[in-house]
Amino acid sequence: MSELVACKCTNCGFVNYPKHHRCLNCRAREFEQITPSGEATLLTYSEVCTLPWGIDERCRMLGIVQFENKVKAMGRLRVDKPRLGMKLKPSWEPVRVIGGEEVLGLTLRPAK
Amino acid sequence: MRKVAIIGVGMIPFGRRDEDSLVDMLAYAALNAMDDAGLGERPIDAVYVGNMGAGLFNHQSAVASALVDRLNLLPAAADTVENGPASGGSAIKNGVLAVASGHFDLVLVAGGEKMREVIGPRATDIVATMTHPQAEYIYGATLPTMAGLFTRLYMKEYGVTSEHLARVAIKNHRNGLLNPYAHIHALITMEGILTSPHAIVNNPIVADPIRLYDCCPVSDGAAACLLCPAEMAREFGKPAIVVAGFGQATDTHTLQEREDPTDLKAVRIAAQQAFETAQLKPKDIDVAELHDAFTILEIAESEHAGFFKKGEGAKALDEGQTEIGGKLPINPSGGLKARGHPLGATGVAQVVELVWQLRGEAGERQVKGAEKGFSLNFGGFGNNVVSFVLRRE
Repeated sequence: MSELVACKCTNCGFVNYPKHHRCLNCRAREFEQITPSGEATLLTYSEVCTLPWGIDERCRMLGIVQFENKVKAMGRLRVDKPRLGMKLKPSWEPVRVIGGEEVLGLTLRPAK
Repeated sequence: MRKVAIIGVGMIPFGRRDEDSLVDMLAYAALNAMDDAGLGERPIDAVYVGNMGAGLFNHQSAVASALVDRLNLLPAAADTVENGPASGGSAIKNGVLAVASGHFDLVLVAGGEKMREVIGPRATDIVATMTHPQAEYIYGATLPTMAGLFTRLYMKEYGVTSEHLARVAIKNHRNGLLNPYAHIHALITMEGILTSPHAIVNNPIVADPIRLYDCCPVSDGAAACLLCPAEMAREFGKPAIVVAGFGQATDTHTLQEREDPTDLKAVRIAAQQAFETAQLKPKDIDVAELHDAFTILEIAESEHAGFFKKGEGAKALDEGQTEIGGKLPINPSGGLKARGHPLGATGVAQVVELVWQLRGEAGERQVKGAEKGFSLNFGGFGNNVVSFVLRRE
């Protein structure tokens, strides 16, 4: 799980993800690249049953999580019964085929 | 800056319009607006067209150039304005500024989208290109997904229930029955969409907790309005409706980056700007057209625009305050929910409805005595919002 790269502002420490060329908090332009660390906490989720062209599945669970080092990101949930606040373990797996290419993305499963 | 008036408005019925191209639809709406104003042979100086996705939906670009040619408005200046689902609002804003600056006198603004040319999953994918390419789109996130993620939090924080959402849909479909331009003419009931054993069949999950009847339909359609300086408006036949105020604000591309994802900051700021420039307050508004692409948005926008305190929008709905005969009628047109949501047309259609309301021309859905109206056009998932305050002079 090292493919998701967030940008920590070297001026104020704010964690920007996805990337910005100026910090969302202080507008500084220098960043340190960091990867998510620790468990992820589920902030919100939705089971999506009307998926776009190119995803051949009936339904798919998506959510937003926050990692222990403040990185917040959307990911695909591989969870039977999600609940807000539950702890999840990240991995980096194929999530979609775009233009014939397999695209990897954040995938989350229950931590225990 | 000059005061700007709307002197003519026009629309075509929204829905599935297989026989008409995008430019046909824009032309019909524009001609209706020109005739409504009694424009005659007077030349139009500039044309702004709100459109989000003609390149993807219809394999066509440079739509404004095509429209001026189709209507022989040559050699008018022409620009296509793209701002996602707020393209219509942005096109009007550009037209208003062009007239207010003194550079142009007669400006035509049209908004349109032809979405039914592609199949449903393709339309869903095209609309989803508004999401962040690496942080959202790759996961299959759609606009209903964003609404689902948002609704779950709003329900938890503010006690909004599926019944409240259904009540928005029921109200707006009831209003839509009174609007001959609406895409959907159907009366729906709480039993049919929520409480009966068959409700899950009628009203399946789209993006939990969002169901089918919490979403606007995918529509073809167009709307238009004609602008000029207020002092010139008396030369035309209809009562002048003045653009008293407008606002526009942006927010982060992704929902996850917002400090409080239930805070629609761009809605708050755009509405505040519109009220400040109009020197009015939310309590002064007689009728509002809000961007209910999803039922939760009508409730949340009504709070963030300042009509109700945060967390009290659902209560106002329960009390009937937002009905046509209520204290603040919201979406008498049926809103996006029933009128439909041809993306680039919506912001213009909202203003067209307000003009009809303020002139007293809204027929069976007329809000009695309406003199001041408010519109809110919500782009992306709240990352680019345009609002207007209109006033009858």
